[in-house]
Amino acid sequence: MEVSQKLIDDLAPKKFGRKGVIWTISLIIISIAGIIAYIDQVIKGQVVTNMNDYALWGIYISNFVFFVATSFVGAVTVAVLRLTNNSWRTPVVRIAEIISLASIIMAGLTIMIDMGRPDRLLYLFIHGRMQSPIIWDVIIIPTYIVICFLLLYFPLLPDLAILKNHFSKTNPKLSKWYGKLSLNWTGSEQQKKIQIKSIHIIAILIIPAGFILQTVDAWLFSTLFRVGWDSTNLGAYFISGASVAGVGALVTVVYVIRRTNKLEEYITDYHFDKLGKFLVLTCLIYLYFNINEYVIPEFTSKKEEISHLNHLYSGQYAPLFWFVIIGGLIIPVIVLLFKKGRKPLPMFYVGLLVVIGSWWKRFLIVTPTLLQPFLPIQGVPESWHHYFPSFHEWIITFATLAMALLIITFLVRYLPVIPIQRTADEQEETEISKSKISKTVKP
Amino acid sequence: MENSNKYNRRYFLDNGLKFGLAALIGGIGLSKLASKLYGKTNTNSGDKMELMTTDGTIIEVDASEVIDVSHSKDEEIKYNLREGMPNRKFVMVIDLAKCKNALKCQDACNKHHYITGEHAWLKVYKMQEEADTAPYWMPTTCMHCDHPACVTVCPVDATFKRRDGLVLIDNERCIGCRFCMAACPYSTRVFNWKEPDYGESSEIVMHMNMAHEPHNSIEFTGMPSKIGTVDKCDFCPHAIKENELPHCVTACPNGVFYFGDKYEDTVTNGDETLRLSKLLRDKSGYRLMEGLGTKPSVFYLPPVNRLVDFKDGLDDFRNFNSVEKIN
Amino acid sequence: MLIVFGSQKSYAQSTEKNTIRLKADYFKIMNGDVYFDIKASSKIDKETVDVPNIEIFISNEIEDEEIDLGTITTNMKGECRFTLKNLNLIKQDSTNTYNINFTFKGNSNFKKASKSVSFKDAIIIADLIKKDSLNFIKATLIDVSTNTPLSDRLLNVQVQRLFRPLRIGPEFNTTDENGTIIVSIIDEIPGVNGILTFEVVLKDSDDYGTVKSMVKAPIGIPIVDESTFDKRTMWSPRNKTPYLLLIFPNLLILTLWGLIIYLIINLYKISKSKFKNHENN
Repeated sequence: MEVSQKLIDDLAPKKFGRKGVIWTISLIIISIAGIIAYIDQVIKGQVVTNMNDYALWGIYISNFVFFVATSFVGAVTVAVLRLTNNSWRTPVVRIAEIISLASIIMAGLTIMIDMGRPDRLLYLFIHGRMQSPIIWDVIIIPTYIVICFLLLYFPLLPDLAILKNHFSKTNPKLSKWYGKLSLNWTGSEQQKKIQIKSIHIIAILIIPAGFILQTVDAWLFSTLFRVGWDSTNLGAYFISGASVAGVGALVTVVYVIRRTNKLEEYITDYHFDKLGKFLVLTCLIYLYFNINEYVIPEFTSKKEEISHLNHLYSGQYAPLFWFVIIGGLIIPVIVLLFKKGRKPLPMFYVGLLVVIGSWWKRFLIVTPTLLQPFLPIQGVPESWHHYFPSFHEWIITFATLAMALLIITFLVRYLPVIPIQRTADEQEETEISKSKISKTVKP
Repeated sequence: MENSNKYNRRYFLDNGLKFGLAALIGGIGLSKLASKLYGKTNTNSGDKMELMTTDGTIIEVDASEVIDVSHSKDEEIKYNLREGMPNRKFVMVIDLAKCKNALKCQDACNKHHYITGEHAWLKVYKMQEEADTAPYWMPTTCMHCDHPACVTVCPVDATFKRRDGLVLIDNERCIGCRFCMAACPYSTRVFNWKEPDYGESSEIVMHMNMAHEPHNSIEFTGMPSKIGTVDKCDFCPHAIKENELPHCVTACPNGVFYFGDKYEDTVTNGDETLRLSKLLRDKSGYRLMEGLGTKPSVFYLPPVNRLVDFKDGLDDFRNFNSVEKIN
Repeated sequence: MLIVFGSQKSYAQSTEKNTIRLKADYFKIMNGDVYFDIKASSKIDKETVDVPNIEIFISNEIEDEEIDLGTITTNMKGECRFTLKNLNLIKQDSTNTYNINFTFKGNSNFKKASKSVSFKDAIIIADLIKKDSLNFIKATLIDVSTNTPLSDRLLNVQVQRLFRPLRIGPEFNTTDENGTIIVSIIDEIPGVNGILTFEVVLKDSDDYGTVKSMVKAPIGIPIVDESTFDKRTMWSPRNKTPYLLLIFPNLLILTLWGLIIYLIINLYKISKSKFKNHENN
């Protein structure tokens, strides 16, 4: 139970070096630019975007879907790996929880950007209709935010207490904050009992919550008539896609943090190997769903389906589509099937490809379908037949991504990215079991 | 967008002319307003007039106190605006055999609803399903479906289905999420991406026309439109409650649109009045995208025994704009 | 130069005054009002426009006399209606004809105009008859002044509907030597509460104007409200949500949030249990 000083020194959050400061300031600048662009949008109306009555949802919505998908990493990594007793997950769980929380918070903010009348936000709560899938979304997102927060917070308590002591001399003000947030954690039997029981409940709770969140997100599309959306496949497809996006994001962020915080001792090649195998698994499942969505409709060749698929295979979206499928899915699978591909650096690039591929995949889900309505597009300007985001949309979208990274940066700066107490406990357990083995072996 | 520059120039030119007439407009406007509000039957003051009250008694009043008021045919039944007129179910029948893309319907609708922007509510499509099948002109309005996909998905009850069949939009409630637009398979809804630009004179006239009405935005869609909200064809409730046909019906020179009450089993295009069930039976009426299960209230009569050639409408085909900038 | 203001109804600014065309029609409703519908229009720049807000003087012309009946002003559509309670308020001439003049005295934009309407009084007596369990509308057209039936006249029989009336029976119903027509009502016609209002109309005749008689008959099929407005459906407002959607999602929310609240209480417990620990020490 005693936590070694070395452990604490290695894992305690440290001040940012120059790179860290530049990183943070850049993110803040991008965020501010986005806020200014958004204010401009509120004043002038959404005419500043390139959306029109046909491409009525653009990258604001696909960005929102991306954030919702990435937030699934908490449910997948922490709960699923926990329930299957994958003990290697310990060094990466906190990063996963942080990414989850940052993503789902930004999802909640991003969707408000797409509203035509953000001044009427409260109507969603006062006049909400339970029949509408949007209301289901409005219910599940705050619920998931709270659950993600609790998922992060409960295991954090012992670490906060450790940090309070660690900083008591060097940074008393910070130490006081850690103390307050640690809720008077002393490691007593009673506290531990409550904590362990609570973590157990959250870990179980987050699975249905996560599944409901991804499914409701899918139902925003599959409860409508449009080609490409009206698919019974969509719920499972989104859950699988969220796993891919989430684990990909996890791999990327883990690599970066490992390097900046010098955690090579704790997050070893073994962990990357395991993460790589996990990512391959999610990608293969996702590939299966993609084949069902994008290949099988060719069999019946219904007119609208074929037209939609042709837009993706060989039409105006072809380059993007093939980048997403090959770059975002097939190449990662191939690379990760080899042991050499599961080394940290290749995995970082693969993770990056997966995340970028995921982001653009959601764009391909949202807009091409809208530009193929049942009745022909006539009587409207020629520019309405296409959609490419405007300057405002890009700035605002980058700002939301920057804000997500800011939240992650902030949490990584002040929280131990690897659970200290838990690592200590596990090291102790390993020692005990090792000594047990050595004792049973008769000299 | 490039189109806006062209419109800006036109608007500027028109604006100059209009300023010169501003005083004249004001004068006409005020007198229009006055005549609508106080359509007087003037007799020499001091004369008495015999009038019958609503319960049958005869009274004598000073003639100068008599004001002419227009009544709707049914006694003034006040109904809940979200519930709609009782004992009615409004339907429209569009005869594709007669349509030759004259676009008078679109012009009338644009004008009477003060539609700004580039997207009309009533669109006349150039349809041809396959190279082997015949081309035809197809006007579409909102279908006012009985199983409306748009109403189902609205999160805040801004769009709603009434008892009399109309699907309307409350633009004081709409939050602009555009979920209804994504849900509508007929692409009939229109979004106000920017502040609606009526142009000075049009705005004056619109407010004058609205001044005498007990104005409620639900039954007067688009008057005015609000930024960040959705609009669509509303079957003109402000007209039909005064027993007047919707503007597209009266504007069509070819009698394409029939409108009426399904419960009364009667539709009319202003000239012909027919029994709905018989019309649909005889001419094999159908609805658009019946298989989707939306149960639209607009019936189409197939383009057979055409009175006009399809090609005659090609000159007027508005592929890239459906709203002529009306001053 | 003529300046025409877009699509709005307007006056042309010219030195020459425009002519107004007045249209006046006489209507008599049996057991109801007698009225004249007046419409003023003018052809300006080859386009016919309605002329609103002009004053029309109405007078009753008898032999040499002209009795003033009052004035009326046209509305925004150039229309107005002059209503008389009954024909006793005006006088016939020696040929039993009523002569009414509608005059516009002219203004700065328009020349003078007038229109006269001459008509005799005719009535239609209409009834619903049942014969062999079939329904008929029987109507007789009579000239009031001579009290003789009018034969060989075309009468329209129709049922009142919301926007335009629906014709019943053949297109042409000619009155016989007794001034009577009989039209059978074959089809089942829907009506509110099963009540139908039939109209027998002498339309736009040169000597008698338009005469309309209404017959209320409870022989219609009652209208049944088929709307789903009162039901709980997926497209109802929120006060009529389907029960399943009320129960299951709310159960789910309660469960999830119940557990969340329990967890938050646990956080509180952890923070409070410090004291117990200290006491034990």
